[in-house]
Amino acid sequence: MTDRYPGYDVLAKRWTQSWNEVTRQVIDRRLAVPRGPRFFSATEWRTLNAVCDRIVPQPKDRPPVPLAAYVDQKMADGMLDGYRYAQLPPQGEAWQRGLAALEQAAQEAHGGPFHTLPVEQQDELLHRIQKGDLIGEAWGGMPCKLFFEHRVIPDITHAYYAHPVAWNEIGFGGPASPRGYVRMGLNRRDPWEAVEATPGEEAYARRKNHRVD
Amino acid sequence: MRDGRTTVSTDPFAAPRAANGRAPDVFKRGGWVPMRQYNEDEAVDFVIIGTGAGGGPLLAGLAEGGFSVVGFDAGPYFRPLEDFASDEREQEKLYWTDERVVDGANPITMGGKNSGKAVGGSTVHFAMVSLRFRPEWFKSRSALGYGADWPLDWREMWDYYTKAEKALSISGPLNYPWGPKRPRYPYRAHELNGAAELLARGAEAMGLKWTPTPLATVSAPHGKSPPCVYRGFCRFGCSTNAKQSQLVTFIPRALQAGAEIRDLAMVGRIEMGTDGRARGVHYHREGRWRFQKARNVVVAGYAIETPRLLLASATDKYPNGLANSSGLVGKNLMTQSNQAVFGVMKQEVRWNKGPPSLAITEHWNYDDRKDFAGGYCWMAQGPLPVEWVSVQTSSRGLWGQALRDEMEKYNHQVGLKMVGEMLPDERNRVTLADEKDRYGLRVARVTYSWGDNDKAMIQHALGQMQTSLEAVGATDIFRQEDDTNHLAGTARMGDDPATSVVNADCRSWDIPNLWICDGSVFPTTGGVNPSLTITSIAMRTADRIRALAARGEL
Amino acid sequence: MTRNTTAIVIPGAALLGLAALALTLRPAGRALVSPARLPTRAPTIDPSAAVRAAKRMNRAAGLIATSVLMDSAIEHYRGSFHNKAMVIPLVTSALSLAVSVHGSLDRRPAAHRARDGVYAAAALTGLVGTGFHIFNISKKPGGFSWQNLFYSAPVGAPAALTLSGILGFLAEHIRDTLPGRAPTICGVSAGRAVAAATSLGLLGTVAEAGLLHFRGAYHDPFMYLPVTIPPLTAALIGNAAFGRTRERRPLTRFWLRFTALLGFVGAGFHVIGVARNMGGWRNWTQNVLNGPPIPAPPSFTGLALGGLAALGLMEDHPDD
Repeated sequence: MTDRYPGYDVLAKRWTQSWNEVTRQVIDRRLAVPRGPRFFSATEWRTLNAVCDRIVPQPKDRPPVPLAAYVDQKMADGMLDGYRYAQLPPQGEAWQRGLAALEQAAQEAHGGPFHTLPVEQQDELLHRIQKGDLIGEAWGGMPCKLFFEHRVIPDITHAYYAHPVAWNEIGFGGPASPRGYVRMGLNRRDPWEAVEATPGEEAYARRKNHRVD
Repeated sequence: MRDGRTTVSTDPFAAPRAANGRAPDVFKRGGWVPMRQYNEDEAVDFVIIGTGAGGGPLLAGLAEGGFSVVGFDAGPYFRPLEDFASDEREQEKLYWTDERVVDGANPITMGGKNSGKAVGGSTVHFAMVSLRFRPEWFKSRSALGYGADWPLDWREMWDYYTKAEKALSISGPLNYPWGPKRPRYPYRAHELNGAAELLARGAEAMGLKWTPTPLATVSAPHGKSPPCVYRGFCRFGCSTNAKQSQLVTFIPRALQAGAEIRDLAMVGRIEMGTDGRARGVHYHREGRWRFQKARNVVVAGYAIETPRLLLASATDKYPNGLANSSGLVGKNLMTQSNQAVFGVMKQEVRWNKGPPSLAITEHWNYDDRKDFAGGYCWMAQGPLPVEWVSVQTSSRGLWGQALRDEMEKYNHQVGLKMVGEMLPDERNRVTLADEKDRYGLRVARVTYSWGDNDKAMIQHALGQMQTSLEAVGATDIFRQEDDTNHLAGTARMGDDPATSVVNADCRSWDIPNLWICDGSVFPTTGGVNPSLTITSIAMRTADRIRALAARGEL
Repeated sequence: MTRNTTAIVIPGAALLGLAALALTLRPAGRALVSPARLPTRAPTIDPSAAVRAAKRMNRAAGLIATSVLMDSAIEHYRGSFHNKAMVIPLVTSALSLAVSVHGSLDRRPAAHRARDGVYAAAALTGLVGTGFHIFNISKKPGGFSWQNLFYSAPVGAPAALTLSGILGFLAEHIRDTLPGRAPTICGVSAGRAVAAATSLGLLGTVAEAGLLHFRGAYHDPFMYLPVTIPPLTAALIGNAAFGRTRERRPLTRFWLRFTALLGFVGAGFHVIGVARNMGGWRNWTQNVLNGPPIPAPPSFTGLALGGLAALGLMEDHPDD
């Protein structure tokens, strides 16, 4: 997987006109998320981490975005979505039930804890949950499909794409206040935006991205 | 209490800011404006519950008319220049994130999709699209054969639209392609970004007219508002005050005219007197329940909280809730279809630069050669990363490496999103669930299912939008088949107490001093974003109340 | 902030404008001949008068070229020089500025080939640029709509370079007047030709400023200045172009000088305008590009200087 925006770092613009003080504080807190579980138990934490690794697999050549920590933070701090499907219990309970049910399914299907399974088997279980195929007592009547769609996917993927590392990956301009954008047309880029590397031009893009500010 | 709310000034969630004779000056960092305060034990002329698109203009209009007015909002009093970060996650603080239960065949996604919680209401986070109704929609039943008639005349509303557009300094095109003539917008339309240009080219290829979108953000300086810097975080709070939300328009006017705002004040119950009139409201502020006496109560909490409050205020005398002799409080909930089509361009689009919807086509609001009722428009899109991953995952079921690969195409994405008229159906409704929220109040249950007409419209729109994207050469096209936006209908207006909750003046039939002034009063929802219509109705209601008061009919 | 800034910037700009005006003042000791006292004989040709007029026009051309250089540099940078040809107006206007400075110091009563060539190139570049800008508008969705006139490359901007080139070219032509002859252009008295060019140039600049101020919704009443005063000036100098050359025109002179001042005052207002955008001058990487163009208003000054040069020519070489 080649780097589409080599050398681009949103954080390099931290002291430019693209970031204001409140944004710096917010991103600092984002990066300083507590790493250990405050809500989940040790077992749940292990399962959660393994699930996060499959939902958003991350490259090994950089420190991973601690997705499980963000999910845990959302539960611990009670940050709600503003709505809840009638068949789903409140978010914390939904996760606990879902993780336990996943563990049970892993035992039944493959004879071991979820986090020890090879990734193909982990993915297969997750696909089954996504399809709605897993039922059983451990789910306590919670439809696994809804759990997947409304807890697993959003809580994990939103945590990833709310992180500067993900913004770098997709070449997102990032914070923009007071300085917004000048050149809004097709194929136009402001000097403080990421440069996309066309094939063969990675070195050029990297040089320009290092100067983005 | 949620931890870690960071602002460079005090935390707007920690304690009310509108207190001690002053309210925040949203135009000046750390600044204050004087605010008149009213005694709880003396009845004020008007209590207005909710300070958004409906509550704000009423607060200003009534205060300017000499009435004593207190506006309550459950949300905080933000200082945009200081409190608003460029971050989607952080800015969820603008939304109503308290629990609501959703069900039905097509449960509605709440939170940031349609529910704000702040002084200024949902206009603090809205996308600023400011459109007028097609005139015939005010007589949908008699003129177009569906839905219900409004008890309002479109010509009168046309004047109020002009007033609302002026008050909100709408930036719009010099020639609007549809509908009767309208006066010139106060400011010129914004420059199109790449995403909007692609809508325009697609529309032209299909022989459809298009236009730069009339938006409630200024394209040139206006008072203390600088022109838009095109940062693209519009739906997460405008940190420059270019956006003309209620917070920077009607609310400061209201304060100047002597209104009081009470932020972080959740009204839990409207208290009825023995004379069949409301006598005040119970509200929760700074840790305890309090009571404000009032001569009139206006509910402007938008289409979920308004019926929730009316139902929750039930007593033995009013077992079905207040103003509910028709049984319609909470019923006829409407949202609008918000499906979309997305694709990938060879060019870099970088759609997040600028307001999300800089161009629009209302063709299918005015062309009746369709085999379904109602209309829809579509507009350009520019989702930020978290919202975009939400679309990718929910529409395509993507996760894993495949998701990351698709997300990398971010800067090449293009999209068109509809706003479509969903028809009223009494089975779509707001009721009270048994769960209680953190104030001890029963939570709203929102039940919704799409009807056949809704589905037919959605498929038509998806087909049209797909054709448009294909016409501009987009590839990897996919559809977002499940999305809705905006709310309306749960306290509809009409001219018959048996089939409506309020009359044309937003006055409830049952309780002469109880008014409802927000999107709940819409009998139909039309194929355009509702905010300008809500504001126009509120401005009209303020005038009507002043006229009624002058005649002693209050 | 704004009130203090206005208090400093506007008088500052006005001072700059007065300094520019000082360039237009006639040297001491040069008396004006009133029509009543004119002897009825052939006009006296004073070769140094032609050079003086030419120098004034070099200065006018140079001022406009400066405005074009800075404006096109900023705007084409904003356009990311997406077409390599966008460098050309920067080069030609810079050269125009250079030769204008050279010309304004040159006392020789002869056209200078290099200056001639540069001015001709500038005039041509402006025409080609106008063509490009019109083509750009036509390519956008909606074609020649208000939206595209507002936001696409401004139609009138390259014409300023053409005007600069024309004024400079005429300056050389006037220098080249044979001793004993009155300067003419295509058989028409040079003064009248320059006056007419000035009038048209002013009207074009009014239209450009008017369009962009309309885009800004005339949010500040001062934005009406460039669409009220210069049209009057254009009428007066246009009238002079077709009127009696022997007539003293104090009103026309006054309005020309006032217009020259207005060009700098306008730049001052634009400085305030940039400061008024979000983030002010600290956000200059956005606001200098997005805000009101600071180098644009002084093109009125350049044109007004051209008009004053025209009046001088007409008075020195009456043809009626």
